[in-house]
Amino acid sequence: MLRFDRVSLTYGNQKILNDISFEIQEGQFAVFIGPSGCGKTTTLKMINRLIQPDSGHIYLNGQDIASIDRYELRRHTGYVIQQIGLFPNMTVAQNICVVPKLLKWPKDQCDQTVRALLDMVEMPYDQYAHKYPSEMSGGQQQRIGILRALAASPPVVLMDEPFSALDPMTRRSLQLEVKNLQQKLNKTIVFVTHDMEEALDLADIIVFMDRGQIVQTAPPEEMLESPATDQIREFLGKHQSAPDPAGLTVDQFMRTGIITVKQDRGINECVSRMQHHNVDTLLVVDGARRYQGTVSIADIRLTGHVVKTIGPLVRCVTPTVHTGDNAKECFEQLISSGFPYLVVLNGDETVAGIVTKTSMASAMAEQLWG
Amino acid sequence: MNELLVSILQAAAVHTGYTLVSVAIGAVLGLTLGIGLSRLPALARYLIPLLSILNTVPGIVFIGMLYILTGMTPATVIIALSIYAMFPVLKNTVVGLDSVDAQYKEAARGCGMDHYQRLVQVELPLAMPTIIGGLRLSTVYTVSWAVLAAMISQGGLGNFIYQGVSSNNNALILQGAVPAAILALILGGLVDLLQKRAVPRGLRKGRDGK
Ligand SMILES: Nc1ncnc2c1ncn2[C@@H]1O[C@H](COP(=O)(O)OP(=O)(O)OP(=O)(O)O)[C@@H](O)[C@H]1O
Ligand SMILES: [Mg+2]
Repeated sequence: MLRFDRVSLTYGNQKILNDISFEIQEGQFAVFIGPSGCGKTTTLKMINRLIQPDSGHIYLNGQDIASIDRYELRRHTGYVIQQIGLFPNMTVAQNICVVPKLLKWPKDQCDQTVRALLDMVEMPYDQYAHKYPSEMSGGQQQRIGILRALAASPPVVLMDEPFSALDPMTRRSLQLEVKNLQQKLNKTIVFVTHDMEEALDLADIIVFMDRGQIVQTAPPEEMLESPATDQIREFLGKHQSAPDPAGLTVDQFMRTGIITVKQDRGINECVSRMQHHNVDTLLVVDGARRYQGTVSIADIRLTGHVVKTIGPLVRCVTPTVHTGDNAKECFEQLISSGFPYLVVLNGDETVAGIVTKTSMASAMAEQLWG
Repeated sequence: MNELLVSILQAAAVHTGYTLVSVAIGAVLGLTLGIGLSRLPALARYLIPLLSILNTVPGIVFIGMLYILTGMTPATVIIALSIYAMFPVLKNTVVGLDSVDAQYKEAARGCGMDHYQRLVQVELPLAMPTIIGGLRLSTVYTVSWAVLAAMISQGGLGNFIYQGVSSNNNALILQGAVPAAILALILGGLVDLLQKRAVPRGLRKGRDGK
């Protein structure tokens, strides 16, 4: 659909873009991200020929865009900028119709387009069509900015940090709207952002740039899983570990300071320990503090009078896991086993802690609220 | 008394005629040159200061010089006044076009407008308040500059003023000066009306509501 073939640009002796090649498929939501000044905007503006490359070619559906009239090209390519740039001398309806008018659509087709588009973003025609940009909020203005870009139904829409000037709530709802529109209308979108969260949420494919070069091109999941450089890892920041439960281990959530008892201890000592700590089971360990099993107050009541030490009463049915095991899998095991807890062992089989449903709840809370 | 009123009205009519014709010519010239210059920023950088200097040449000197060329005719008056009327419009056109926010120019380019469409649909409308501000200045100035027409005996309200000055007759001076002041107020008011009509609603209260 859209292909850059070894595109370079130099201003003076500064290389702005250095041999960029990539391809975006039809209907893809491609997000460009990278540190400030890395060339994202420059790359974007080459797609509608606002900037000409020094060398290399850009193909749109197989056609070199250098051979397309630049006004025609721009009229058939949507363009949304960060500053919004709605024409303040025109009403909402006039702003939306700028491109259709340039394309000499008949008036009633323009009107219909305005109605349909305003309808799509749930801004009633009667209420908004004749407002001026200065009479609307920033979020409403950028909605119209997006509609203006969509009005002539261009197959490709370019968006340069369209939401970065908006407050977080508005940004969120516009992100959802854009993603919806893109899927509904099957647009190819090239989107520039500074915000990794935005990139991860919206992108089918993320292109990470640095100093005029592409560092990694990957779908969000893949970039999260295996970022190509430390810089990308840094950009991914909190998103990398937190939303990825695969990285959490059970020892981050287990309870420690568990009461144990040696297997050669007498029944009485064991019972008094249980009473003292107000528990009904104890973990039993051997001389080297290795885990042997559990002993419960119920078993002691039943058969305590025939044995001297707790050794014979030790049961070894409670499931055990090891520190470093995946937390999610441990939680699943805890639930499916029906036991009230799992025992977590260190590598040398000594007791590290236990995992209860309470630990699970706190782990989930941490996931949700950080 | 009646005779006096008629002569004042006659002079005022001539004066108004000079003003309107010169402002019209000056505005067209100023707008055209201003647009031209704003497309050629390199040229504008040298030409605007030069024009500003020219602008400070006293009208009396200029009219005197022109008189040598075109003689004692209304054309001399109109040419001189038009050139003076042109300056404020020219300057404000260049400034107005220049100060159109980059975001609108970029959006206009991104929408696929060519140079002419950008100028007519976006840049001129956005510069219009500034340009009309220049037109107002030039109208008000021209009313007072038109007094100079009397210097080469081409009539207007300046007649009374010159006669008054040379005969030390204050009443006569006022007879020219008061109507000229009123004329300036009226024409200025007309331009203000034009300002209201020509500037779209979206531009009236502040710029865009970011
Ligand atoms: N007209 C210009 N002349 C010279 N250098 C320029 C020009 N425009 C941009 N640059 C340089 O080109 C580089 C890339 O700019 P670009 O605007 O593409 O960056 P960006 O990735 O969009 O940055 P940001 O995230 O800050 O918007 C920057 O180093 C910038 O300084
Ligand atoms: Mg940028």
